[in-house]
Amino acid sequence: MTLAHPEWLWALLALPLLWWLSRPPRPRRHLWTAHLAQWQAALSALRRRPPRGAPLRFLLLALALVAAALAAGGATLPGAPGPRRLLVLFDGSASMAARDADGRSAFERARARLRERLAAVPPHVAVTLLRLGGPMLRRYDAAARAGMDLGAPDGALVVDPGLLARELAAGGADADGDAPVLWTLTDGQGQRALPTVGALDTFPTVGANAALLDVRLDDRWPLPALRLTVEAVAFAPGAAPIELQALVEGAVVATAPQRRAAPSGQRETFVFELQRAPEGGALRVAVSLPDLAPDGDLLPADDAREVLLPPLPAPRIAVLGDQDAGPFVEVAAEALAEEVGGSVVPVDTGDEVGLLLVDGGVVAVPPGRARALTFGTDLDGRREPEPWQAPAGIDWAREHPLTRGLDLSELRVERAFHDLLPAGEAFLWADGPDGPTPLAVVVDGPQPSVHFAFRLRDANLPLLAAFPQLLRRAFVQSHGAAALPVWAGAPPPPGEQDLTAPATAPDRPLPPFGREDRELGGWLVLAGLCALALRAWVR
Amino acid sequence: MRRPPLPTVSDPLPAEFRAMLPALLGSRGRVDAARVERLRTRRALLSQSGTFVGHRRYERGDDLRHLDWAAYARTGELFTKRLQEEDRRAATVVVDLSPSMLAGTPPRRRGALQLAAVLGALMLARVDGVSVVAAGGGQQLARFAGVGQLPALLEHLATLPVSAPADGDPAQAAALVLQGEHLGRVHWVSDFAAPTGFAAPLAALRRRGIRVTGWLPTVVDDEAPAVGGFVRLLDPETGEELHVPIDEPLQRALAAELLRLQREQAQLFAQVGSSLWRWPVPSAGARLPDYLPIVTACSR
Repeated sequence: MTLAHPEWLWALLALPLLWWLSRPPRPRRHLWTAHLAQWQAALSALRRRPPRGAPLRFLLLALALVAAALAAGGATLPGAPGPRRLLVLFDGSASMAARDADGRSAFERARARLRERLAAVPPHVAVTLLRLGGPMLRRYDAAARAGMDLGAPDGALVVDPGLLARELAAGGADADGDAPVLWTLTDGQGQRALPTVGALDTFPTVGANAALLDVRLDDRWPLPALRLTVEAVAFAPGAAPIELQALVEGAVVATAPQRRAAPSGQRETFVFELQRAPEGGALRVAVSLPDLAPDGDLLPADDAREVLLPPLPAPRIAVLGDQDAGPFVEVAAEALAEEVGGSVVPVDTGDEVGLLLVDGGVVAVPPGRARALTFGTDLDGRREPEPWQAPAGIDWAREHPLTRGLDLSELRVERAFHDLLPAGEAFLWADGPDGPTPLAVVVDGPQPSVHFAFRLRDANLPLLAAFPQLLRRAFVQSHGAAALPVWAGAPPPPGEQDLTAPATAPDRPLPPFGREDRELGGWLVLAGLCALALRAWVR
Repeated sequence: MRRPPLPTVSDPLPAEFRAMLPALLGSRGRVDAARVERLRTRRALLSQSGTFVGHRRYERGDDLRHLDWAAYARTGELFTKRLQEEDRRAATVVVDLSPSMLAGTPPRRRGALQLAAVLGALMLARVDGVSVVAAGGGQQLARFAGVGQLPALLEHLATLPVSAPADGDPAQAAALVLQGEHLGRVHWVSDFAAPTGFAAPLAALRRRGIRVTGWLPTVVDDEAPAVGGFVRLLDPETGEELHVPIDEPLQRALAAELLRLQREQAQLFAQVGSSLWRWPVPSAGARLPDYLPIVTACSR
């Protein structure tokens, strides 16, 4: 037993005082008598006993004092030396979703083992859990012991558990020199070697697996044509080629699956030319191993991907041009209608249109709230625009969705009205007196709009080869996110598909942990109170 | 706790007591039975030992050695031989000097010594001599004869020491009595605090044909506690002590125990055919009426 404050032992010097106080009272008078036997007989007749010292009462009082002194002194029972920290490296990578013959995934078995082993770890041991693979999660103590909120198997091992374990073992000691105990739970997939330090539990699953590596979608929206390029791979024990099948189904015109025999681990590419359904919908791409049983693929999670295709629009293009507008806007509308498979409609029909094409004039088009493409159009008519004659140094954004890959180097503008441009993201500009001045902007909003600072007749833009593509991109841009396919889930992580050769090593148990110092204060106070309570009953 | 010293009796026979003694001895008119007693004493003394002077019928308690078996053979009745003692006119006073006699308020020892003095004076005045047996004392057996030795008797009694606890044994006192040549009636002055210890010695004396009269100088403590409250009781004989809170129930219980002791003491002497006289020790001074009961008892 050790004491945190041994100076409290001075309180034991009060023991002689307690002994003196516990002595029976002394009579102040004395009487010599020849009849002591009669006195004793009289006391016996009354069942009385003369006052006398009670050694047991003093003993209980002394015990209470000793217990109080030890409690005040912070008495503790020293614990056994041993590690007081446990660091768990939990493999949560995608390969942990592989299922064994019982249908339980390695992830589930690892989490059950985690809960089982940590239940036996003393409560004073600080447990930290690091999930490796997928999102980096850290859980402490109770959450770690319960294996709470570890997510689902996903992602790849970006950190080698073996290397991490060595680093942590080498530099993980705290100020007291207490190094943490490492415990790795993994399936050994995607690793060259398992950790050589600390405890180890492995959950290997060896078998065949087909996996999607990449799916590329060449979307020609608003046209129905669609190209799907599928990269897939198959792994199987042995050297014989294995049949790999790719299938596309969902919101497209039905197409036949593609099959080919491929050596284990060889990357295969499947190209599907598809026609999408006008109403859009989910498109599922899947690979499989048709020669094996349905449960022969141990890791079905990486077999399929799904993309949500938007519905095809009804491209109705309306045109507005002032009296000075030339034929360019009409030609542009016709060209755009041809490009997107739509039609040019009159403005005054009252029907909803896919895009409003305006050249010059004054039109009340709220920027970002109407699908419009304007050229030198005054949007509010509240001021007289100041012309900018022959702006020089015209340049464009090379990475903007509207101008990516287009060549606008031949663009010449005779007159521009940059005061007419609303606030937005510029993708075309010229050198002005105060630096680059926008000549075209995109205003984002519920219905994005594109605005140019010059009329078509004041520039040679309609004559450039990039003009039809620019018009089509403006059409797509005006439809914003509604025109984009939405992929469900993340692409399968690399390096998690090969289940044929996991790294193996014998499992290593957790070492014995130390025992915590045990505070005796509460027990000592209880013992003291019991002694005092017992003393009340002792005569 | 340190033991207090034993109480002392500085002057048990003060000058006023000694001055009162002649008046006490001269109180013949008020003691009518003095002559009768003297004659009875003589008869008793004659019956102890010496020359055969006649027979008397056997009485219960008589020494069996004095039975005349020849007369029994002739008559079929028991007769005791009456012998004439050479010193027919003698008596013996046994004084208990044990430490227990120091207890009491006033000390019982003072009353015992005054009682022995009165008895001795009466014997010197009315019979031929008196023997004083003081077990545990310096001179354990002293003989006095004639009234002229009254001062010597008083001085002897006044100088008797307190015996050691082991020396105050009644058996030892009885042995001293039996060693004497001229016994006469034995007057045993003691507190008889432990009656069972006196049974065997009294029986021994009785078997020798010695008649014993017990004298018990009583003090207040013999009937009830003299004090109240929380008291430390000390036994001068054994040194044992007892701490007692005295209250009314305990006082009643003690009075009952003391009454039982008195009955045991009376029964002790009744069993040996003797009598026990209780004489209250005067609290202070020496008034003649306080001592007249002694004279009266001796005359019976």
